[in-house]
Amino acid sequence: MNIAENLKKVRDENQEWLELRYHHRDSLKLQVKNGSLTDSISTTLSGVAVRALVNGSWGFVSTSDLTLEGLRKAADEAIKAAREAGSIKENRIQGLAEIEPVQGRFDLGEEDHNSREEPDLAGKIKLLMEADAEIRKAGEDITASQIAYSEIKDRKIIVTYEGTEVEIIDPKCDIGVVAFGERENQQERAHTSHGVTGSWVKLFAERTLSDLADKAVELVRKRLEADYVSGGQYQVILDPALVGVLAHEAIGHTVEADFVESGSVVQGRIGERVASELVTLVDEGNIADAAGRVIVDDEGVKTSRTTIIEGGVLKNYLHNRESALKFETKPGGNARAFTYRDEPLIRMTNTYILPGESDLDEMIAGIADGFFLKGLAQGGQADSTAEFMFDVLEAYRIEEGKIGKPVKGLTLSGQAFEVLKSVDAVSSDFEFGLGRGYCGKGQAAKVDAGGPYLRCRVMIGGQQ
Amino acid sequence: MMTDKQDKSLSWQKGKDEELKGQELCQSLVAEGTSTGLDDIEVYYQQLKSLEVVIEKNDLQLPKSDNYQGVGIRVFKNGSMGFASTNDLDQNSLKMLLEQAAVMAENSPPDRNNRLANPEKLERVPDIYDERADNIQLGDLIARARSFMEEIKEDERVTVDTAGFSATIATDAIATSRGIKSQDSQTYFETQAMALAREEDEVSSFDIEYQVSCFFESLDVAESGRSLRDKVVASLGAETVDSFRGEILLTPFSAVMLLVSPLIYAVNSENVQDGISPWKGKKGKQVADKKLTVIDDGTLPGGVGSGKFDREGLPQNRLEVIKDGYLQELMYNTYTAARAGRKSNGRAGGGAQNAPDIAPSNFMIAGGQQTSQELIGEIKRGLVVNRYSGSVDPVSGDFSGVVKGGQLIEQGERVKPVREVMISGNIYQMMQNIAGLSREREDIMNFKLPYILLEDVAITGK
Repeated sequence: MNIAENLKKVRDENQEWLELRYHHRDSLKLQVKNGSLTDSISTTLSGVAVRALVNGSWGFVSTSDLTLEGLRKAADEAIKAAREAGSIKENRIQGLAEIEPVQGRFDLGEEDHNSREEPDLAGKIKLLMEADAEIRKAGEDITASQIAYSEIKDRKIIVTYEGTEVEIIDPKCDIGVVAFGERENQQERAHTSHGVTGSWVKLFAERTLSDLADKAVELVRKRLEADYVSGGQYQVILDPALVGVLAHEAIGHTVEADFVESGSVVQGRIGERVASELVTLVDEGNIADAAGRVIVDDEGVKTSRTTIIEGGVLKNYLHNRESALKFETKPGGNARAFTYRDEPLIRMTNTYILPGESDLDEMIAGIADGFFLKGLAQGGQADSTAEFMFDVLEAYRIEEGKIGKPVKGLTLSGQAFEVLKSVDAVSSDFEFGLGRGYCGKGQAAKVDAGGPYLRCRVMIGGQQ
Repeated sequence: MMTDKQDKSLSWQKGKDEELKGQELCQSLVAEGTSTGLDDIEVYYQQLKSLEVVIEKNDLQLPKSDNYQGVGIRVFKNGSMGFASTNDLDQNSLKMLLEQAAVMAENSPPDRNNRLANPEKLERVPDIYDERADNIQLGDLIARARSFMEEIKEDERVTVDTAGFSATIATDAIATSRGIKSQDSQTYFETQAMALAREEDEVSSFDIEYQVSCFFESLDVAESGRSLRDKVVASLGAETVDSFRGEILLTPFSAVMLLVSPLIYAVNSENVQDGISPWKGKKGKQVADKKLTVIDDGTLPGGVGSGKFDREGLPQNRLEVIKDGYLQELMYNTYTAARAGRKSNGRAGGGAQNAPDIAPSNFMIAGGQQTSQELIGEIKRGLVVNRYSGSVDPVSGDFSGVVKGGQLIEQGERVKPVREVMISGNIYQMMQNIAGLSREREDIMNFKLPYILLEDVAITGK
């Protein structure tokens, strides 16, 4: 009997609320460093997650035993765990928001007709090795190079108590390119990256490997010549990549309903003005090619576009079925699990700020003393207070409306909603910019985020 | 249902975990691979059985059980190497896995440093397996969660965002065509919790509490709960400060990200060979303050990073990485050792899902003479940094980030909690001027760290 039939059989044999998710993942990881192929890894991770909702509590068991007997055992254990937990849980789960059961097959890479032209393994390795060599050929100041490519091919079958029966095919891949440079004993590194839902061909459709390598070299050279700056409050331009990080990391997490319930800064503030009226921020799963693409989430809910902030006013939080019922709203398909060993959590998908009407050049011209900030260097962090700290990859001084010298060692920080309140111009551009970014919340999730250029006030941390 | 059974509580998912099952599986795959004409083959097996209870929003959220078993195969042919792994252990899938690893190797360029290690004598490390672990049930972890929450609920301003109480039994096995074959088991128990405090409109920053041990009874969850509660409440009423240069006292937790992670990067032989470590060419030279001594010891009894062998089947050992500020030794695996024309020192890291990389075992910074309270007493004007939220560039050492749960200290006395305060500087430069290290140390993951007092740090407020 095939796996789908087994999942349905186990569901039908039990009276209790069950969700069974088969998740098979084939992944490939290739890494080239300084002319050597340092990783060529093929991994299969396959199993079933069983989640039970009994006695007002969840129980979760993951197993790689895919036999009917193995699945029955996992279901029994999940039910037993839920029952035991429910007996001491203080606030029992009252139920789940109703959904329309979803049925059918969803192929997230379907529109990607180029996948037939995808190079084979040897071809991919060759192209990565060539790009890696190209970085080090750029000049004596470029001391080392690194390229990492990874692809994930997921196949899921989700069967739930309510009758959702879906098969999901989800191919995602990403690339990261790093150049290391040295000048007068000063070492620097810079990276570029890109990620998509779809194939290798889709990944390099707009920017070739060569483009990414050139960009990494250009960025590291700018960092080598850049000076440190002194910190303080400044008016700045944030590029789409940093706007994406702000939207995802500093705002997005605070509106995840589980964080809201834990007391995030936006608790009880739906309907309040939380940003400049120029700001509209959404989370949307079903965007073709976007790295965070989800059509049906891991609770079997179809994704929709959730407007988080509209014209500066807080409109919605992000939900799973449990939180949606509590907040008396509909779930937008934000319950996601990274592997079969993970339970679905409230996660973002593609989170972005909508473009506005301003012209970027005019926005820059309007700054007397500030910075033009592009991309994330090492990482971004934020709390449920929306206080954040991002490390900037590429930065320039802006003086009297003109872009000046590159600067480095900059961080931007502040309270994200305060920063959004200070927005006085939103450009008409738009780009997703998280690159090969994964979001971490106990488990990983492939996400994307982006937006236009924003002009706002932030706190700059420097080292001078 | 299940009422006719005696077990009242969910326990480990029982698998076929007879003695040496992992090692035997590895050996049979090595034999099969060798017969197909490969030059060399290594098979690594890993089993992780875990139970976890998750608390969210001050209430029990989820009981979880997982049983992972997988193998990772590295094959070598004509100087090329390939790696493939799976958690599907049926005969047919394993046969396909061998083929896949061979395909990965065939398509990879040769590298003369690709090789396997030769066998050495392996010894078991004491006190890393809690015999009780097999009998631990979900109910035991729920009881833990309850006593933790009782402490938290002593103060109604405190909310636990998430907390996890977990128990894991890990079994690792390896066999290679060079004759290495072994198996080892370990248990570890973790408590990790994040909480915040709310008072009227004010929300404190998150703070974290973490405990780990190879023995279930060694964790004091009530103490964890008390400590976390007190930390987040103490950060209420935080204000920013004017910018100044002063001292910072890193707690063991904040030291992990700010100091330990660049330190591990800098002593990784691969980064040194690639020219991207700030300490390339510095072996035998002074790289840090004389107060800094760093030991990495995979044979530490009771250490969560301890074990019989590393990811390549070589014995774990005690390595003096930095002695009185002098760089003594880098961390090598077999590949980087071959590049350097020397022997590996047993720092191959990773599990069955990845090819070996380089990782420390129990990475420890030696403590100093004073207590952390005495170090605070020495601060003229500075901060205690409970948690650091920011970045550190391990190549240049530049860091800049926000202080969480920070306390302003003046003339050795706590003045007030601070918020929206950033610290920045260069961590490698700061390591050359360490003002003090505490006598007491804390275990965080596989690190054992003191409180560390650093001087002349740029502290940026409003």
